[in-house]
Amino acid sequence: MSVNKNLKILIVDDFATMRKVIRNLLKQGGFENVVEAEDGAAALKMLKSQQVDFIISDWNMPNMSGLDLLKAVRADDELKALPFLMVTAEALKDNVVAAVKAGVSNYIVKPFTAEVLNEKIEKIVKSLAA
Amino acid sequence: MDHAELRREIDDLASSFLFLEKKEIDIPTAGQLLNQLEGITAHAESLGAVEARRLAGGLTRLLEKVVLEAVDAATGFGLFEQGIVLLQSVADGYCNAGRYDGSIDGFMAALAACLGVPPEPAPGCEAASPPEDATATPPAGDRKEPVRDESLLRDFITEGLEYISEIELNILNLEQEPDNKDYINAIFRPFHSVKGVASFLNLDAIRTLAHDLETLLDKARNEALAVTPELIDLILDGSDTLKAMIGRLRDELEGREATEVIDTSDLVRRIKLAEQGAEQPKQPKKLGAILVEEGVINEEELQKALERSQLPPPRKLGQTLITEGMASPKDVSRALRKQAQQVTDSNTIRVDIKKLDDLIDMVGELVITQSMIRQSETLQALGDRKLLRDISQLASITSELQRSSTVLRMVPIKQTFQRMARLVRDLSKNSGKLVNVVTVGEDTEIDRNMVEEIYNPLVHMIRNAVDHGMEMPEERIQAGKPERGTIKLKAFHRGGNIVIEISDDGRGLNREKIRQKAIKNGLISPSDNLTDQEINRLILLPGFSTAEKVTDISGRGVGMDVVKQAVEKLRGKMDIQSVEGKGTTFVTGFPLTMAIIDGMIVKVGNERYILPTVAIRQLIRPDRAAYNCIVGEAETINVMGRLLPLVRLHRLFDIEPAHANPWEATLVVMEGEKRSKCLLVDEILGKEEVVIKNLGESLKRIKGVSGGAILGDGNVGLILDPEGLFEMAEAN
Repeated sequence: MSVNKNLKILIVDDFATMRKVIRNLLKQGGFENVVEAEDGAAALKMLKSQQVDFIISDWNMPNMSGLDLLKAVRADDELKALPFLMVTAEALKDNVVAAVKAGVSNYIVKPFTAEVLNEKIEKIVKSLAA
Repeated sequence: MDHAELRREIDDLASSFLFLEKKEIDIPTAGQLLNQLEGITAHAESLGAVEARRLAGGLTRLLEKVVLEAVDAATGFGLFEQGIVLLQSVADGYCNAGRYDGSIDGFMAALAACLGVPPEPAPGCEAASPPEDATATPPAGDRKEPVRDESLLRDFITEGLEYISEIELNILNLEQEPDNKDYINAIFRPFHSVKGVASFLNLDAIRTLAHDLETLLDKARNEALAVTPELIDLILDGSDTLKAMIGRLRDELEGREATEVIDTSDLVRRIKLAEQGAEQPKQPKKLGAILVEEGVINEEELQKALERSQLPPPRKLGQTLITEGMASPKDVSRALRKQAQQVTDSNTIRVDIKKLDDLIDMVGELVITQSMIRQSETLQALGDRKLLRDISQLASITSELQRSSTVLRMVPIKQTFQRMARLVRDLSKNSGKLVNVVTVGEDTEIDRNMVEEIYNPLVHMIRNAVDHGMEMPEERIQAGKPERGTIKLKAFHRGGNIVIEISDDGRGLNREKIRQKAIKNGLISPSDNLTDQEINRLILLPGFSTAEKVTDISGRGVGMDVVKQAVEKLRGKMDIQSVEGKGTTFVTGFPLTMAIIDGMIVKVGNERYILPTVAIRQLIRPDRAAYNCIVGEAETINVMGRLLPLVRLHRLFDIEPAHANPWEATLVVMEGEKRSKCLLVDEILGKEEVVIKNLGESLKRIKGVSGGAILGDGNVGLILDPEGLFEMAEAN
């Protein structure tokens, strides 16, 4: 079973270049249906107004951090089942454990390649389908 | 929470684990298990189920490692399964017998071997375990793959430079407010983002430097490092270098001749040094600089002497100065001593406040235990003089130990004053007033745990001083005062208290208007003859300023009753001095610590209670005639013309008293927040300074009781809270 490449993916990062990097990596994996938000608050607003299938979010952002976004998503009845992939700089134990406890679907450590990103997405989507 | 509930929680944990479809713990499951373990750890701790707590803690660490991929998933799964089975049998043991007879040591050792940490790490040590580093740097090779996309590079250059200028802006703010976490965060984030993108673009030098700076800031954010001017310089140097590196990248991209490679080694070394918490090696001041500072020589002479010292035969500066007659040997040797002092100045170490609190708690326990030993009847009966002498020696050493350990937690009031000074600046700027702040006694020390507590009431007084006490510049000039007003913050110690005075040279209180208003609000009657001091204190009464806005009164008022209550809650006292037209001074006294209370020990029946001395107005043995009891109404006592309600302590706590008649017993006149009452007790046993003991979570909400203490004779006494007692009496 292969993952539906039409999945609508939301990239959340305050650094525009970073969003572009992830967008490029996703494109290499065949995912082209991508939207962007510049921080957690903007992402949340977007999630309320349009259908998104998958979230890839940075950790450290102004206004609303990735962790707060994750918590808000998990606390929202309509959004709580959404796959959420957290991007962290290093596998800092405190960060990762906090995200895991808050119900993150998986995490990915910067820098990563298109293959690793693809793998993580497939793993998450498959475990949901199972 | 009891053992059965703990058992249920553990069963829940086991079932979420058992229902896993594959023999693999995925991330969302790990999250669920971690949360369950967190609850189990806390409950096992509170039930004293040591084995369960250790197991749950161990399993938590195991799961964390699995999540971080530092432990092989299959191994982790197997161990986790074993651990849960063991945890269940421990819970069974506690459920059935209140203890666990088996041993978990074998499993804990296997776990420790797997986690690569020594078994049973002491609390707080976990963070020090090295494996984090193993995961901190991603395995090289498989993830790296050059992304050399020109348009991405260009985006990075533009955005990166923008971010760095943002850093510069925020760093200036940070310099003003070194403890403002928001500013640290605002600087941390751009470094972090620059690092993230640089890692994708394979810009290793930029990534490394940004990473180092980020780590440094992270430490500052977690208070592992102080934000010093040196640190700020270092960060500024770092951002300059980053900017230069990105600039170089741009030149390269545009085909311009690249400037020489930027050497970051010195910067990196400085960052590493600062990171280790090692103070930047302070450059001791040069001898010449000290002499110039002291006015022994001037700059010109110094230059001349320095040049001469270079000439052969080479001599030291001091020697030159002396031989040339520019400085006396005494001056030079004094300056040399001063220089030596600078180097050895760092005679302090930083200690985690938690460790200090623990130490002080344990010393408190020690004092109590030794006092119990000292009062032991068995021991007294032995009548061994030597033993008794040794024990009294032990007593004096423990109390000395207690005194010196309490001092450990003392910090200067300086930081609080600085915050207040900043507040004055902000407030005066907003209101268009011109105000200077003068501080006196900044080094006065106070218990660190008190610092936060006293801040709020002090802030309110400052607000009052600026908003109401201070006049606008024009008004001040008209009154013949300097245009710029002054607020003075002064702290000093007096009799085991810290006294903080906030004085302004504003318009002062208008006593006539205060009196009029108090009469209008029914607080006093027109015939009352009050001293100036009493009139000043009227503004502290509730109901004084609630009726209307205070702008019609010359100055103070809003919420001063709240301030007074807050001060009294901290067992402090407050007073006001004021001269009309000249200014007002708020005087507040706080105990140096909340850990000890000055108490009056009273006896009712066979029970002893401790009443906080600050709340006691007087002790009386009333005449029979002073006692009034109207059927259906409360009992009252006439205390010097005032009728005060009688509160029978024995009735509140349901004790058989030795004396039920007020004229046979002793009455303690207690002050609550808004009223006074007479407390009926059998007798007064004495005054004692006692160490306050928390009664624990389950007894927290008992009305009328604020804590417990072990008395000198080893008995436990409850510390009573007057306000709570009054409420209890009123409810009856």
